[in-house]
Amino acid sequence: MSDPRAIQKKVCMLGGFSVGKTSLVKRFVTGQFSEKYHTTIGVKIDQKSLCVDATEMLLVLWDVYGEDDFQKVRASYLQGSAGYLLVIDGTREDTLEVAHQLRALAIQSMGPVPYALVINKSDLREAWQVDPEMYKDLASNACLVLETSAKTGEGVELAFAELAKQLLNG
Amino acid sequence: MGVDALYPEILNIFEALIVHVESATQYRTMSGLPCWYPASFSSDSSSTDPREFVQKSFFLQSFLHEAEEFWQSHDHGKLQSGLWSEPALMGDESYLEATALVELGQRFLIVQRYQPEMVTIQPVLQKARDNQLAHGQELEARKHVEAQLGTQLAESEQIRDDVIAVLDHLQLATVMIDESQVITSASPAVFQLFACDPQSLVGELWTHALPLKADQCRLVQEQIALPEIRRSSVAVSLQKQKKSWREVEVEVHEDPRDQRRTILFLKDRTEVEDLRRQLIGHAYFEKLIGKSPAMQDLYQRIQEIAPVDVSVLIQGETGTGKELVAQALHQLSERKDKPFVAVNCAGLTDSLLGSQLFGHKRGAFTGATSDHEGFFEAAEGGMLFLDEIGDMPLATQTTLLRVLQEGEIMRLGESRPRKVDVRVLAATHQNLQEMVERGDFRSDLLYRIRVARLQLPALRERREDIPLLSEAFLGQARVVTKKPEVCDIASEAMQALLRYPWPGNVRELKSTFDYALIHCHGTQIHLSDLPPEICGTPASLVSVRASPRNERKDILSALEEANGKRAQAAKLLGMSRSTFYRRLSELAISPEEQST
Repeated sequence: MSDPRAIQKKVCMLGGFSVGKTSLVKRFVTGQFSEKYHTTIGVKIDQKSLCVDATEMLLVLWDVYGEDDFQKVRASYLQGSAGYLLVIDGTREDTLEVAHQLRALAIQSMGPVPYALVINKSDLREAWQVDPEMYKDLASNACLVLETSAKTGEGVELAFAELAKQLLNG
Repeated sequence: MGVDALYPEILNIFEALIVHVESATQYRTMSGLPCWYPASFSSDSSSTDPREFVQKSFFLQSFLHEAEEFWQSHDHGKLQSGLWSEPALMGDESYLEATALVELGQRFLIVQRYQPEMVTIQPVLQKARDNQLAHGQELEARKHVEAQLGTQLAESEQIRDDVIAVLDHLQLATVMIDESQVITSASPAVFQLFACDPQSLVGELWTHALPLKADQCRLVQEQIALPEIRRSSVAVSLQKQKKSWREVEVEVHEDPRDQRRTILFLKDRTEVEDLRRQLIGHAYFEKLIGKSPAMQDLYQRIQEIAPVDVSVLIQGETGTGKELVAQALHQLSERKDKPFVAVNCAGLTDSLLGSQLFGHKRGAFTGATSDHEGFFEAAEGGMLFLDEIGDMPLATQTTLLRVLQEGEIMRLGESRPRKVDVRVLAATHQNLQEMVERGDFRSDLLYRIRVARLQLPALRERREDIPLLSEAFLGQARVVTKKPEVCDIASEAMQALLRYPWPGNVRELKSTFDYALIHCHGTQIHLSDLPPEICGTPASLVSVRASPRNERKDILSALEEANGKRAQAAKLLGMSRSTFYRRLSELAISPEEQST
């Protein structure tokens, strides 16, 4: 159980379907990764404690289902978030467009909270369709831009830790 | 038990947590705790206070904020949260959904649990997304392949354009035909050749589409039928437009990628051929060689005289090529397909020459065992070349004059005249006008045969032609002497050739190369290989004609070397046979001397 004295922060995972939001959370929370894609229904809430600048923090991670034509993200899910990770699949250019839409929804629902722009699946870099020029608009306001791989763990810990630091200090 | 008492039992059947929200802090369950309710929150099984559960659920806490707004703004109705899972509370396998209900001002919170298999949307959504991902990957793969193909196509087009540009630059048009002889592609350079859109040829039979004559098509078809290794190029003339002909060389090749297809390479050689013709036309004329102004003038005059059907008198020193000029006149005249008969009038008696020219009847004279057709009859429709006409006996001159005037001959021993249609060309190295004055030649015959006149230049008057002639005679002598390795003339040898006065003219030059090739032992003719009169004597000391005494000696030596064969002796001396016979007569060299 988490320390009741810890600072608790709600962090949403936002992005198109199959960009790797659940995998990032799983890698961060349990250190595990599964190759099999398992679509998220509704919202899955996880939590992880971490120490940031000698301060205990509890990140409550709202892994919101991926937005697509079948499911639109409910704005109410985002309310009360201290920040969010905006996740793009580097191998799919179309996830950039979804990220733009979710960013607009986040601004509307949460206001100008900190967010980390995460370009996931860096283990498949040779198949990437996106490049920094394409996501420079999304990156310009992000507190952090990171290339990650839930599969290898590259950048995952750093992404959450840096965002937590922003939430704590911001 | 009343019906009202059954409600809690019925509610329990739905395994839902139904909470009456009496205030922000007071929750009361309206049923028992459902079986899925976490045991950790109900250590006392008799307790039905759900506050701890609600407070522990991050989702419910968030939802209650939303529900509070709903309850305040609605008298009745419901607000659903949507599915959520919260492994820390319920484990991984449970999905929950909360409903905020308001009815008659009473607020209720209902939480239901779904097992994963009950969330029917999951597999549908999973399948839809899997399909979408697969479709996206397929699209991506297709885009990748398309991009690759596009790149390859662009590269191929670039290579094709480069090849076509190179071919065009080389003035090489290409026509590709399939196994049915149908044109499948034609390069842009085809337009230059045929003045037609290359695309318009595609789909047509090449034998119809290309402006080739039937015999030209046949030649190309023969090449197509041959194995690649045995093919050779075919030269054809194409009519591009009216009065516009192109000289084209056609090469047939198999398409290396598909042997059923054939590529015709068409090279426009018009310009090359024009230039070659100009070059040859200036340096060569029929069998005559020379590009000097004197020869150019001669070629011009031959072209003017040849088509006019009159007698021609050709004058020039011995060895200047009088017979070649006569042959050129024949070739350029309308009589070119009729006979050309050459007769040497020197050294023959009147009766013998008359018999040869006009023929004789059997028994006309002793030894006339059969009827004999003369040269005039043999040359019917064509030309009769009378070489050394200055040596013709006067009696024969008289007969000849009559033949020329009447157009009739009479064989010796015959009384019946025969019509002849013969153009007479006469040649001599002598001054016939002086002979007329001396009474050795009939003036009326002279006037008759010199309707047109050609004066041939001596070789010493056109020394600039000596290198050109030398090259030609070297080539001929190489063949005769079977010395193909000799292919050059040393500078000092050429200087000597240029200095020498050439009394025997071109014939002597030709003989000089026969001599030089016999003596040459390397690949180059040196000064020492040339006859002594050329290599050892300064030009100023060489007389145009040797003294009679020396000439007599030379002739006798030549006869001795040639074993008495006069033709061979004449050749050794660089003389024509007629000149040789004449000199034999003039120098009174008897047959006995000739044979010894």
